[in-house]
Amino acid sequence: MNIWKFELKKAFQSPVVSILIVLFLFLNFWLIYNHAGIREELKVTNQLVERFGYKIDAEMAAKLQAYYQSKLQKMNELTRKKFGKTYERAGDFFSEYEYRSEVLSEEELHVITETAIVEGYYELIQEIDQTYSHLDLSKNAKLDINKYGLSGKTAEIAREYYKNLNNRLDELIEAGEHKNLFFIGYVYRMHSFLFKDLMRQMIFEVMILVVLITGHVTTYEFQNQTHLTAYASKRGRKLMLDKLVANLFASLCICAVILGATLLVYFLVFDYSGLWGIPISSFFNSEFPFPYISWWKLPFGIYLSCVLVVFIICQLFFTVITYSIAVWIKNNYLVYAAFALLFGLCVLITGIVPKTSTAIFWTRYTPFSLILNPHLWFIGWNVFTPKNYEWTTAVIWTCLLAIVTAVTFLKFNKEQID
Amino acid sequence: MLVVNHVSKSYGKFEALKDINLEFSNGVYGLLAPNGAGKTTLIKMLTTLIFPSKGEILYNGTNITRLGEKYRELLGYLPQEFGYYKNYSPKQFLEYIGALKGMDKKVLEKRIDDLLKLVALEDVATKKMKKFSGGMIQRVGIAQAMLNDPKILILDEPTAGLDPKERVRFRNLLSELARDRIVILSTHIVSDVESIANEIIMIKDKQVLYKGSIDEICKIIAGMVYETSIPYEQAAMFKKEVFSLSEKQEDGLLKIRFISKKAPEPTWTAVKPNLEDVFLYVYRDDIQESSAP
Repeated sequence: MNIWKFELKKAFQSPVVSILIVLFLFLNFWLIYNHAGIREELKVTNQLVERFGYKIDAEMAAKLQAYYQSKLQKMNELTRKKFGKTYERAGDFFSEYEYRSEVLSEEELHVITETAIVEGYYELIQEIDQTYSHLDLSKNAKLDINKYGLSGKTAEIAREYYKNLNNRLDELIEAGEHKNLFFIGYVYRMHSFLFKDLMRQMIFEVMILVVLITGHVTTYEFQNQTHLTAYASKRGRKLMLDKLVANLFASLCICAVILGATLLVYFLVFDYSGLWGIPISSFFNSEFPFPYISWWKLPFGIYLSCVLVVFIICQLFFTVITYSIAVWIKNNYLVYAAFALLFGLCVLITGIVPKTSTAIFWTRYTPFSLILNPHLWFIGWNVFTPKNYEWTTAVIWTCLLAIVTAVTFLKFNKEQID
Repeated sequence: MLVVNHVSKSYGKFEALKDINLEFSNGVYGLLAPNGAGKTTLIKMLTTLIFPSKGEILYNGTNITRLGEKYRELLGYLPQEFGYYKNYSPKQFLEYIGALKGMDKKVLEKRIDDLLKLVALEDVATKKMKKFSGGMIQRVGIAQAMLNDPKILILDEPTAGLDPKERVRFRNLLSELARDRIVILSTHIVSDVESIANEIIMIKDKQVLYKGSIDEICKIIAGMVYETSIPYEQAAMFKKEVFSLSEKQEDGLLKIRFISKKAPEPTWTAVKPNLEDVFLYVYRDDIQESSAP
């Protein structure tokens, strides 16, 4: 324990680490701030959930319709008074909005905006069944085959993939998973914002910190010429084992700081209070004509937890990868370069393998490919996001890195420390 | 007892040490050889940092590699190039080394205070080491080597950077320590070991050339060491016939200490050889090579 304390001190005493943590948090907060303009509008979703529940059925739709109409009526009373005009749809008001906004108080404008949002929900609910009945996943299979130039065995895999996804879609429709209120994806793109923009940014930030710290701590004695003293001590080469534990713990601390602070601010800014139980496959979460279809029923809270687990697992992988490189290379700058090279190779190789080879699929089972699209984790989106992609990658790399670490230890135990 | 048993060390085709046989019991051992002779290689094997290519090193009959932690917990080691953390204070650094040596926290604190006093660093115990002189750093190195009160203390060029006063203090300290432990002191400075070593080990051509007390080793050149004074103009010719050990100016003449195997001349005074004479004589080829332009 005492040795871990000293190793952790090495990890966090570097001013570069502190500066980067502050800088990265600032970047994350800035990203949230830039998106925060919609926070008031998002509150309407929570109000609707509070009023009607999030499950969409005939009864709820009827209540929402009545609510919408009362809202529209109130809005028209206001516009009649202000502009001598009424609207069939609240949305129509906003086509003339620029010319009329200065006449309205903030509160009056809020009434109209709120009506428009409720109207959005009301109208979109009418489209749900039609949207899902028009989904033809065999077309997606053909699109993927053409887009990625698949043929033979790989094309067959693509067709099989969409068959499975179609089964899941049928199951989802049957269970009514899609019929739940959520932030309107077409408008606010909150899924992409949270899981693509913010989460991916955090993945890279934490990865940079984890690689820096692990390279620094692992090579510390060799860089400072204290390796002869340290490895001739009682603890000897087992110090490398302490370093692995300290590096893993330091990585968890970095994850906690970056994720903790950023998500805390995110959820303080954007109100998700009523939405934690809503399935991620909700129609309202869709941002494109093709909806997000999670491979399992995953409520938002569970989905976020799963994403965080995969996030942390990936960072632990990066820690062990950097650590193993550092034990072999022993120069922190070369370690960083080697990690970057490995990252580049693992990502590039997916693009250069023949399209007819199944390698086009299995070369993507790396943490480096995995972290590129965190917004698609656990979601059937295209042929490269199969069911269990995340867990399979995690299991494969856990086994692989366990072997690599064992070999690294054996090698270090027999190494001449000069 | 620490036994080096037929140990050889090779790096690829290069052989650094060949068939070394040594035995160490309590006392000070001076490992004396010029730089590059293989002293550090032997020491690194004794500290388990590197492993013999052939042979074995035994402590009380068991291979030290097999003993692992049990052997290293008896060990105190000051490397030739002692590295330190410039942003640590001596106290912090010793705490870290103490943790690596598996020392109890309370015992460690007391030991650190005692040792910092012993190496005269108690006033700067909490100051960052980045502003320390070479001598101060070396004293931190000595303190860390002695931190666990080792049964085997191995010091590689320990007096580098120490001023004359510190050297004397350090030698006295080692003499005191060596009563109940093995102290192996590797150096190319004869005066470091001359007054304190119980035994001298000289390595040449990758092998142990001599191992014995200073008196025994000095017998190698007994009856061959002389002093004489000659005019400067005869010096060049004279030095071609004898092996010069030291020269100094005295009363307008050159007073020269030398080794000669010839029958002595009347003007030569036979003197008792010392360890430095043996060192210069034994390593004359290495010294001439290293001092050649």
